[in-house]
Amino acid sequence: MENNLPRRREAAGLSQGELAEAVGVTRQTINAIERERYDPSLELAFKLAAHFECHIEDIFQPEENND
Amino acid sequence: MFDNIVSETGDPGRARRLYYRSVYAIAGVAIVGLLAGMATGRELIGTSIYCVGVWLGGGISFLAPKLTDVPLQDERDTDLYNRASGLTLGVLFVGGLSIIPVIYVLEAAGRIETPPEVNGAIFLASGLFLMWGVSYGIVKRR
Repeated sequence: MENNLPRRREAAGLSQGELAEAVGVTRQTINAIERERYDPSLELAFKLAAHFECHIEDIFQPEENND
Repeated sequence: MFDNIVSETGDPGRARRLYYRSVYAIAGVAIVGLLAGMATGRELIGTSIYCVGVWLGGGISFLAPKLTDVPLQDERDTDLYNRASGLTLGVLFVGGLSIIPVIYVLEAAGRIETPPEVNGAIFLASGLFLMWGVSYGIVKRR
């Protein structure tokens, strides 16, 4: 799953730790998502979308749709 | 305790590091205590240290995340545990399925004689597979 989380986080002026605290996970998890080494659960994806006030698909895109 | 660390330092990572270090340190003391007891002939003391350490470390690792708002463990940790457990079981299944029937057949044919240690290992692996099957059934129906 591809994502633009780093760009959105940096645009919001947040560190990984601050975003992690805001959505209730560890900084390592945010880091793993940003490096596309971990796909978040639907619950966490909803939390991230709510935090950035957008839809889940605005942050996460299936890789086959981006060929 | 973990909440106090975060409120004082503003760093959830510090609380998380303390949590993991505490659990690993207690587990380490337990294992060293058991080995030291075996090495010095004080098995009762060694096993007592081990039991206390395992229950204390296990209790902290299980209860601490439930008693604090600090994210000591999260969904990725669970995912990593599940993947590591799946990999371990996969290796055991493949190894067990390829070795255990062969040992049974060759022993029944009188070609080999398995030592008690091997029989113990087979018994342990069989018990593990059985427990996995029961756990899978329980999880599937919940």
